[in-house]
Amino acid sequence: MVEELLQGDNQIINIILIAIALLIVMGLAIVFFFYFSRKRIIKSELEKANLKIANQKNVLQATIITQEEERKRIAQDLHDAISSKLNIVSLNANMLSLKDISSEETNKIANSILKVTGNVLESSRKIAHDLLPPTLDKFGLEAALEELCEEVADTNTFQVDCNIEYPEHFLTKDEELHVFRIVQELFNNSIKYSEATKLNLHSETKEDRLIFQYTDNGKGFNVSTAKKAKGLGMSGIENRVAILNATHTIISSPGNGISVTLTLNPSNNED
Amino acid sequence: MEDLFDYLSSFAIVFCVINTLLYMFRFRGNNRAFKIFTVYLVVIAVIQLNASFLKYLVPINNNLFLFHFYYILQFIFLTLFYEELLKKKWMYAVLLIVLGIITFQFIQAPTMFFRYNPLGVTITQGCIVIYSIIYLYKYLHNTNEYLVINIGLFFYLLSSILIFASGNLVFNMEIITRYGYQLLLNVNNVLYLGLQFLIFVAWWKNYSKETIK
Repeated sequence: MVEELLQGDNQIINIILIAIALLIVMGLAIVFFFYFSRKRIIKSELEKANLKIANQKNVLQATIITQEEERKRIAQDLHDAISSKLNIVSLNANMLSLKDISSEETNKIANSILKVTGNVLESSRKIAHDLLPPTLDKFGLEAALEELCEEVADTNTFQVDCNIEYPEHFLTKDEELHVFRIVQELFNNSIKYSEATKLNLHSETKEDRLIFQYTDNGKGFNVSTAKKAKGLGMSGIENRVAILNATHTIISSPGNGISVTLTLNPSNNED
Repeated sequence: MEDLFDYLSSFAIVFCVINTLLYMFRFRGNNRAFKIFTVYLVVIAVIQLNASFLKYLVPINNNLFLFHFYYILQFIFLTLFYEELLKKKWMYAVLLIVLGIITFQFIQAPTMFFRYNPLGVTITQGCIVIYSIIYLYKYLHNTNEYLVINIGLFFYLLSSILIFASGNLVFNMEIITRYGYQLLLNVNNVLYLGLQFLIFVAWWKNYSKETIK
């Protein structure tokens, strides 16, 4: 067979066979190329998915921690403002039930109870208000933000400049709450850490987009290190921005205050 | 050696018929691409059987006219098959243009009917090979039930282009012994067996068990 193949007559057949073999080798090369590319692509996609899961885990963790902090704060508030005072009420009421007690004393105790219950009422209203401002639900985002500004201004330590322009039903109720929380967090950060004297909140609509601009004149911070440290407040803002499908930029440097811009697209679901 | 290849050739035909039957049993309840592919298998099996009947029963020397049915019908059905998978409308245009070229060839030289058609084979099988590469590229990210069939078609059509394209040359040359010609046909048979094997593997992997979709 080999001898026959090597004869001159069969040279054309030889060439054809060699060419077929080459084609098969090339075909194999192509198939292997696709096979290995495929493997690599699947691997990188897997890595991407894992990264995404890790990120989601982080968000979840941050959410849980925030939730716990919030619970702690509420528990503290309830304990300080309500339980302790109700204790006094209970004690006073107990004294009222004693038989040998003069009417003068009774009046005094009753007055005290009235005063304390009034305080408790005020505290519980305040706590509820802090948890979910009723203004937001009843009168919308604009009124709620204005109220927030007024509350901060009432402390008399800051000069607050509020200029809010919000087209109604631009966002859904849930989204409005997220925006409100973001602004609340920004105010909180300024109040707690910045040593600022002037706070400025400004919003306007531009080309179908709602833009919030928040600035303070505090001591500022290094944005990149803050991002690495990721305090709960900052990551909370980032998560809410992601949920809102909005974009935000934070500009700050030590000594120069902070400037945050939040750009929102109109809500897709009409309700 | 000759005997072995004879058996191989018969085995390839039997295998082809078995595969066709297997695919026909699953004809209902599968998608359009599967149906087109099954029709393709049936057509090819009928041509194969015709060819072998002519060879064994009727003493006709030249059954090459069947070859034209083979590559033209193969091109039509596989173009439809890949169009269904790739959803590219321009494939229809390619189909019409290529059929036009082949028709023109037949009008120019009607005697071609009893010879090989190297140009026609090269164009039709080349197009299908290109489609199969596009298919490989498209399904780089995810798996698909036709991946194995696609690789089989890719290999067989790519390598058999040369065998069929050189058919006239080899067939007409006085100097080439009958043995050399037979050798090429046998190589073709082995490759064809490979294709049938992969088609069978695809059936085994995807359709052997009745699945509720």
